[in-house]
Amino acid sequence: MTFSSGFLSILVYGALIWCALSAIGLGALLVRDMSRGESW
Amino acid sequence: MTKDAILLAPSTGYLLLGLFSLLWIGLGIYWGRRNKSFEDHALAGRNVGLALGSATAAATWITSNTTMLAPQFALQLGIWGMLAYSTAAFGLILFAPMARRIRQLMPHGYTSGDFFRLRYGRTAWGIFMLFTLFYSLTWLVSMAMAGGILLEALAGIDYVWGMTVILAVCVIYTMRGGLAAVIGTDFIQSLIILVGIVVVGFAVLQNVSVGEIHANLTAHKPQLVEVLFPAAIMALFNNLLFGLGEVFHNNVWWSRAFAFREGVGSKAFLIGGLVWFPIPVAAGFIALASGALGVGVPSPDMVGPLVIANVLGEVGAVAIFIIVFCSLASSIDSLLAATSDLITEDIYRKLIKPAATPERLKKVAQIVTLLLGLGTWAVCVPRLGTLATVLFFAGPLVGAMIWPIVAGLYWRRATSVGAIGGMLLGGGVGLVSYFAIGWYVASTIATAVSMVWVLGAAWLSNDQYDWNLLKEA
Repeated sequence: MTFSSGFLSILVYGALIWCALSAIGLGALLVRDMSRGESW
Repeated sequence: MTKDAILLAPSTGYLLLGLFSLLWIGLGIYWGRRNKSFEDHALAGRNVGLALGSATAAATWITSNTTMLAPQFALQLGIWGMLAYSTAAFGLILFAPMARRIRQLMPHGYTSGDFFRLRYGRTAWGIFMLFTLFYSLTWLVSMAMAGGILLEALAGIDYVWGMTVILAVCVIYTMRGGLAAVIGTDFIQSLIILVGIVVVGFAVLQNVSVGEIHANLTAHKPQLVEVLFPAAIMALFNNLLFGLGEVFHNNVWWSRAFAFREGVGSKAFLIGGLVWFPIPVAAGFIALASGALGVGVPSPDMVGPLVIANVLGEVGAVAIFIIVFCSLASSIDSLLAATSDLITEDIYRKLIKPAATPERLKKVAQIVTLLLGLGTWAVCVPRLGTLATVLFFAGPLVGAMIWPIVAGLYWRRATSVGAIGGMLLGGGVGLVSYFAIGWYVASTIATAVSMVWVLGAAWLSNDQYDWNLLKEA
């Protein structure tokens, strides 16, 4: 039994999109923290 | 790795090295200006917010191994290999509730050594210090060595020069800025790494589709897409437990649990783990594309950069150079800071000079950081060992520390006999397994043996530990 091509596609595209969203999310979190004076 | 693997002109490599070195040192000095005491230096004033906290958790866990070894795992163990590497994220995710518990139980704590000393006594503390210093120094040496090797392979920069510059830059900004500099630079480094991986990944997919990659693997390396690949499945469990042990015991993570603002720790580690989780897959699939792209791979640990440079040319080589440099710096600085704090707090303050002033302790921490850097440099110059094997040797030792920590944090009946026996028996049997069977089972066996001993001793004891004793730290 082998992993299908569709599974590999979901894995690869999912990981890349997840990384992109993480970068945007971290940036947004920092802006929020800084606007509240809570960055550190 | 040989000179054949050089992907970037040395002059470009030196330029990038110089620019990023100046940036990190400048930021370290800037952020270090507000540090007055050891608490400021070691724990950034115990007031780090969610964004910086999440990013530093993720960035510290993104080492050169994540960006370089994940493709190697994929090349050798296929789809399971990438997933196995991703399971290390559970170390951060499962540490999230522990970070909240640590902050509650030890509001004035500094290090993971404080916990062992107060919870289990001096003998357990001594064994813990031996294990954790061995692991931390091994990790530090392997990162510095990897830095020298990678810069030489990527840009033809002499190994000793590359290793020296990376180490020196991290030592300077960690000495000057302490944990604040480490956390601040980690944020920038995490964004650079994430964006770099996304850009490189989509660029590779412009040249070859996932369908073509899968068809090529099915035809030429079918074991890499096999659902039942025993060695890879064992590697998954081993990597998961190695990751848990690394995060649960090491002062790199405990110092962050103490440094994050009240209520931030559990969220920051959870978000950090979720940010980290897809990176081994996003970086690793590039290795699986090597066959479909017709890229020859003379050395498995260079597969990622080779594919990227072949597909994207000089732009790709610059991208991978920056990603690798950021991955290395984000881990080396954290290790230098956390290990220096451990030695300053647990050895200098607790054993040598209990009455030392906060200013004196800060100075000692800076000197220890410098000495750690010099010691690491001296060990790295002869270029012994390989990227993976040196670090995996510490796997059984950290696996054996998982249960003494978990039981000690949550169960009043956990005893020092259990902790000492768990660490010694688990670590010993794990090391024997490492040599007799292989690295891919050593952490699993060490964790299992330690678990049986720690839980058995707690179950048989009538101790009721007073949690207030931990507030002394």
